[in-house]
Amino acid sequence: MTKVTFAICEKSFLIRKGLVSVIDKIPDTQLVQQIENEEEFLAFTNNSEIDYVIINKTFLKNIALKEAIKQLSENSGIIVLTDNSSDKFTEIIHRGIIYLNDSQSIILKNIKEITGSNTVNGKSGIPEEISKREADILKNIALGYSNKEIAEKLFISTHTVVTHRKNITRKLGIKTVPGLTIYAIINKLIDINETGKLNPDTHK
Amino acid sequence: MIITKNIKMADVIHMNYFTLSVLNRFGIELGFGDKSVQDVCKEYNVDSDFFLEIVNAFVNKDYFPKKNLQNFPVKLITDYLQKTHDFYHKLKVPEIEQLIEDMVESCYAQKDNMVLLKKFFNDYKKELANHTQREEDVVFPYTIAIEKAFNSEKPDDSVFVLMETYSIDIFKNEHDNIEEKLFDLKNIIIKYLPRPKDHKLCNKLLHQLFNLEQDLNDHSRIEEKVLVPKIREMEKSIIKRFTKG
Repeated sequence: MTKVTFAICEKSFLIRKGLVSVIDKIPDTQLVQQIENEEEFLAFTNNSEIDYVIINKTFLKNIALKEAIKQLSENSGIIVLTDNSSDKFTEIIHRGIIYLNDSQSIILKNIKEITGSNTVNGKSGIPEEISKREADILKNIALGYSNKEIAEKLFISTHTVVTHRKNITRKLGIKTVPGLTIYAIINKLIDINETGKLNPDTHK
Repeated sequence: MIITKNIKMADVIHMNYFTLSVLNRFGIELGFGDKSVQDVCKEYNVDSDFFLEIVNAFVNKDYFPKKNLQNFPVKLITDYLQKTHDFYHKLKVPEIEQLIEDMVESCYAQKDNMVLLKKFFNDYKKELANHTQREEDVVFPYTIAIEKAFNSEKPDDSVFVLMETYSIDIFKNEHDNIEEKLFDLKNIIIKYLPRPKDHKLCNKLLHQLFNLEQDLNDHSRIEEKVLVPKIREMEKSIIKRFTKG
């Protein structure tokens, strides 16, 4: 799997080290660069190919960096670092905010949510569009089980499975089994390796 | 607005540039100056009435000239459908494949997801190819045979043998909905894919998918609302006229 790359733009040595240790704890991430001041920032934005940049708000407030930041936001996801929990940063496109006073677990959770690598314990969240039960059914559809097999596995009637399927399709706007499978993988309901091949059209 | 034979061909394109692909299928090339639809059609040896019905049906979903279209010879309709097949396989599908390939290349943060999309579209491509292949191998020849028998005073026996094993309703029933997967792919990209890095590329891809979907919808409408009823009528008439009891 390709690693998600990070850069940190922060003047304070202590905060930088703190962030480095936090990012280190997230699997499949890689810290590529640490930027300590404006000069380094300008040099960095000229040739950056980095997924996420965690950036102290003092950089964002600096008028001289405005163009560079705008350019950066087109190529990388910006995560703002601030000490004030009422800050909003509407003037810049950003993916999220990290507050200096947050605990390690909250910062970890935040970064994982932003980058989508929500798999630290192998657990996955249920996507907001569907219910827990529907997620169970969807998972089995994606794994290639037929309505009858799903009914037997979950101790419900085939009729109930069909109703759930209809609801899932209506809620997600996805009709075909391969489409639902991709949705399940993107949302980490199942692992890509579980599916074998992505063409379970036989189960209709 | 309904397109008529006296409108300038250039204005047809101005009205809806998707008609370019329709013109292309009739072999009509650009550079027609101020010539009318009728004049351009004459120049390219295209039946202008048929062209008008097809292009109007394409532009305007509500204008669907079932009756008018059913009056044209089957061969004209299947030739047109055949050209839409070529358009998908030679132009649209490769274009979309290239865009997906570019997305796989540019999006290393979610390469896995992009590879999934690629696989999904690849399967779809095969499905589409099977679908059109079957129409070309089985359905179109069947419709032409039926039309020939319908127009003849004493049809060949082979057509009755053919009709015993196949009918246009078999085609209608097995005619799966080829647009569904495309619809899913669009929705996955629009609603569920984590934001891709290169949104311009992503928009281009969506544009192409919408384009292909619209064209496929038009294609299916012609098959299901024009070709199928027309052939069904002919089948009935043949049975009535030439078989006893």
